[in-house]
Amino acid sequence: MVSGTPIWARYFAVIFIVCTALFLLAPLFVVMGVSVSESQFISFPPQGFTLHWYEKVLSSDAYVNAAWTSLWIALTVTIAASLIGGAAAIALNRRSLPASGLMSAALLSPLVLPTIIYAIGMLLLWSAIFGPISPLALAIGHTVIALPYVVRTCLAVLADTDPFLEEAARTMGAGRLQRLAFVVLPQIKPGLLAGGFFAFNISFDEAVLSLFLRKPGLTTLPVQIYGQLEFSPDPSVAAVSTMMIGLTIVLLIIIDRTLGLGKIASV
Amino acid sequence: MTDRLENMALVMPGLLLLGLAFILPVLQMLVLSVSGPDGFTLEHFTRFLSDSYYLGILWRTVRLSALITLITALIGFPLAYIMAKSGPRLRLWLTLIVILPLMTSVVIRTFGWIVLLGRSGMIPSMLRDLGLVGRSFSIIQTESAIVIGMVQVLLPFMTLSVLGVVMSIDGRLEEAARTMGCSFMKTIRTVVLPLSLPGIVAGGLLVFTLSASSFVTPSLLGGSRIQVLAGSIYNAVTQTLEWEFAAAQAVILFVGVALVLVPYLSVTGRRNG
Repeated sequence: MVSGTPIWARYFAVIFIVCTALFLLAPLFVVMGVSVSESQFISFPPQGFTLHWYEKVLSSDAYVNAAWTSLWIALTVTIAASLIGGAAAIALNRRSLPASGLMSAALLSPLVLPTIIYAIGMLLLWSAIFGPISPLALAIGHTVIALPYVVRTCLAVLADTDPFLEEAARTMGAGRLQRLAFVVLPQIKPGLLAGGFFAFNISFDEAVLSLFLRKPGLTTLPVQIYGQLEFSPDPSVAAVSTMMIGLTIVLLIIIDRTLGLGKIASV
Repeated sequence: MTDRLENMALVMPGLLLLGLAFILPVLQMLVLSVSGPDGFTLEHFTRFLSDSYYLGILWRTVRLSALITLITALIGFPLAYIMAKSGPRLRLWLTLIVILPLMTSVVIRTFGWIVLLGRSGMIPSMLRDLGLVGRSFSIIQTESAIVIGMVQVLLPFMTLSVLGVVMSIDGRLEEAARTMGCSFMKTIRTVVLPLSLPGIVAGGLLVFTLSASSFVTPSLLGGSRIQVLAGSIYNAVTQTLEWEFAAAQAVILFVGVALVLVPYLSVTGRRNG
């Protein structure tokens, strides 16, 4: 705090931070609480403690199938977005391309267009060309949304690297592929890792595209949860949600280790 | 192979993906919104703009988005300022608290609010027990529920946007103001707030667009009676299967968002450039 901050402002800051943190985290805590409640109905505060709802989720075909669908799509998206986004970031970072500013603006544009507008366009175009929606349509859609995050994290990491290393390797006789593999790849690696985990998280948690691009048999976890919430949810929805929150926390820790949380905030 | 060729080869897959799987679908949507059985038509737009039901949906969307934007700014600015003035350890924890909800699926966060705000949920029961409200009091399926849920969903965007700007303010400016006899509040009002304005404006425009275009939280917390524009688009696609009408509503949303995004991009562009 700046010296000379009045005492009431410090008290206010503490109270304000506690209230805001509670407000931000309340829905997550509540979901976790419901997931271990013995009550047959969704209620908070939880009554008793049971892992029954977790057993129910793990033995439910609907949830397990949805989890596999989400996982496969998220893995495809992670690989595709990292490869495409990483390569683009390397080229953009060199700033030698004509209109590279325009290109990076284009690559980041899915970030500013609301997903619902893109989702309806994707649904209409895919239906017009290929007919019924397939998992590939959803994977492509998620890759487009995740791409800007990979490009941004990779560009942020590359901005801090030494461009002359590649020049030095070239002078020493390294070929193009050798330079990419042994100089640029190690430089971009933290960005690629963090961007990849971001992409996984975005795809795994994304609901809007998945709700528009769905058909029987192509249901991701968020869509499955949404469907349950519209009708009559029992605490197993809370159990599956808690598992997803757990996965998010794991991903956050990994991203923090590879890139640093402070850096994510500015990306 | 020249350097330029190598760079083109690296950036091409991304541009191709964007062109074919992003720009093309949006164009398809634009085309379909003016398509009828006999070619070009504006009937989907006139249907929306001449029906007081849909105009009501549009007005509610704008009104709620503006309110949500205002509240996120009122919470987000002090939060970002306190974060900026905290030590590195505390700031890391606060960043975590802001980012964790942001990275959690919006479906799950909305579920949490359904439990808290529901008919027999904790918050209405508490208010009833305290005697502050009547027996029949309910938050869920009201506009208040939508606002509460959406503020929680969108607050991280506002906070991070303001934080980036507040962190770059030279601390000596505040010290100078204090030395010259400004009170703490006056320093905030006359030094910090004006300097943070680009972040607040950028965050506000972002929150407004995200708020105007979301339907998961509004439809689950507001119910089918309180419809917003994005929810109406979703219904036209999945329930009534009027895709052209859905496309036309999406174009209306698109135009509204574009009106907000152009200033957003110029604000953030100036900051980065």
